[in-house]
Amino acid sequence: MPNYITALNQKITATVAATPGICVFGQNINTGTFITGLTKNLAVPPDGRIINTQNSENSLCGMGFGMMLSGARCIYFAKQLDFMLLGVDHFVNTYNFIRCSRPTATLGSFSILALVCDQGLQGPQSSFNSFGDFCSIARIPCYSVTNSQDAARIIGTELVAPGFRMIGLSSRLFKTEFLELPLVHAAGDGSVFQYTEGGDATIACFNFSLPHGRALQQALAAKGRQASLFSVNYVPQPDWSPIRDSVAKTGKLIVFDDSKSVHLPAYRLLDEVAQAGRPFRRWTVTRGEDVDFGMSTDEFRVDIGALVSQVLA
Amino acid sequence: MFDRLDIAQRHLAVKVLQVRHWQHVVNEALKKNVFPVPVHVAFGHEAAAVAIGAMMQAEDSLVLTHRNIAYNLARAGALQPVYDEYMRLPSGAGAGRLGSMNLSNPGHGVVYTSSILGNNFGVACGVALANRLAGRAGLVSVLTGDGAMEEGTFYESVALAQSHGLRCLFVVENNNHALASTIDQRRCPIDLAKLCGGVGVPFLRLSGNDVFAYASAFAEVRNTVMSASAPACVEIDVTTMNRHAGATPGWPTDPMNVDFQRGLVIAERTIDPVFVLKQVLAPALYAELEREVLMHPGSP
Ligand SMILES: Cc1ncc(C[n+]2csc(CCOP(=O)(O)OP(=O)(O)O)c2C)c(N)n1
Ligand SMILES: [Mg+2]
Repeated sequence: MPNYITALNQKITATVAATPGICVFGQNINTGTFITGLTKNLAVPPDGRIINTQNSENSLCGMGFGMMLSGARCIYFAKQLDFMLLGVDHFVNTYNFIRCSRPTATLGSFSILALVCDQGLQGPQSSFNSFGDFCSIARIPCYSVTNSQDAARIIGTELVAPGFRMIGLSSRLFKTEFLELPLVHAAGDGSVFQYTEGGDATIACFNFSLPHGRALQQALAAKGRQASLFSVNYVPQPDWSPIRDSVAKTGKLIVFDDSKSVHLPAYRLLDEVAQAGRPFRRWTVTRGEDVDFGMSTDEFRVDIGALVSQVLA
Repeated sequence: MFDRLDIAQRHLAVKVLQVRHWQHVVNEALKKNVFPVPVHVAFGHEAAAVAIGAMMQAEDSLVLTHRNIAYNLARAGALQPVYDEYMRLPSGAGAGRLGSMNLSNPGHGVVYTSSILGNNFGVACGVALANRLAGRAGLVSVLTGDGAMEEGTFYESVALAQSHGLRCLFVVENNNHALASTIDQRRCPIDLAKLCGGVGVPFLRLSGNDVFAYASAFAEVRNTVMSASAPACVEIDVTTMNRHAGATPGWPTDPMNVDFQRGLVIAERTIDPVFVLKQVLAPALYAELEREVLMHPGSP
């Protein structure tokens, strides 16, 4: 069984190699550690291009939008999500201009594939992991890829589809075994994936917390209880109904969100389910309250055993 | 060749050897994986770091990058606070909270350090502007590399400093490397003399790794900046004699090998500031200084 980064690298290189005219770019994408394995063996068709760029994130984000505007397909590989903060002007202003003036079908494709790390070992800097929250500033579709099912859908089709999106891979999961999961349901827009179906509890995972939700679902199964397991991507206007319907049956919702922001995308789901009007029990598993110096903790601690006891109580 | 040094020269020579020695200690520790954080060692950067450190007056500030070790060691004048920081101990220069890539040390003039390329230029301008508004003398030197100067904010900040008469010195350590890419693998050449000339900022290029020559050049640049109340830019040709980050060698068959057992000198060429120092000092004098430095390791 390959590990997370090896499996995703294989899927990415396969999609890139099969996309005519694709232009892939980024810092050190064809040299050194190949962005810690992300871009290893990257090859493009004869009419494509691989560009090892200079260190100019703001301009490179603009370049991706310019290519998309001109009908070209491109992917920007980025070593860390926080480096994309330098491109925020384009994510908001350039993307807004393009969205309101050009139908998506007439556009080329621009994807940013960024590694999301909880702690880049850089001290207080480079510990920005709030992927969905980041994308919500301008309603950018964003996908946190965590397993075989979402990888097949997101890397297989979204990566080179018309329009703009960001795709995040978690540095924390790099060396872990790649999660091969069954699939119950996948929303057409890639917003909601369901992996198991059960009437005892509903588990919804945000950002890169799916492995924790999976662990809880398995721990419950070991006690003879079946849970419905979902992962949710930040996609504007998602269809929450599969999760809402599940909670209506189970009456229990456990939400995991490992992003560091205060304004967690998971709260939207809780609100959505609450608005349905039926009572339900809820558990919200997030990072600790803000700690030293107003920054979030790097470690995402989850006590599955305690959660199981509470859910079963 | 010198067979005697005045106090200032002796100070420079000893500092170069100390910074080299302490970096060896760090590199040997990196080989044993003792630090919880990666360190961007800077073998080859000692002459520049020592000369800039020596140029600084009490009121001056230094703004650094991820590759800050030589500067932090030169300014702190000791290994322990830097080493402890890499161990993330409360006794570290950043109380164990900053790690390596953000290590600053305000008590020694290192006011800000950023691992985000280009992030430090604007901050340096701010420190310089605050000096100006408060009527404080003081030069702000901000370090960057040939990679980080590709960020657009480099040009913006040079112009900003010039527009507002900021006493800001932009120092580009050009080691022809950014992570794993050389300049020609990633971009066209950038003629900094012309770029700076375009906004009227004086520019100087240094090479050769002679700490005495660098120290006089920086002292002169400081005078220019202070008297004109305007920025300047210095590009230094550097060869980084170690891997981008972590230990060197980085793997068992790594052709790049640094071994403290072989002594302080790493390369018998002018890319190595310690070799250059050894060339300009009489052998007996060099041996005396080296002995002095090795006898006071300042190491854990
Ligand atoms: C905004 C941003 N983009 C990318 C990186 C990743 N990165 C870290 S060091 C580095 C190379 C920097 O090269 P240079 O400025 O020449 O410094 P050197 O390491 O050669 O001393 C890169 C690309 C970063 N830290 N920040
Ligand atoms: Mg460099």
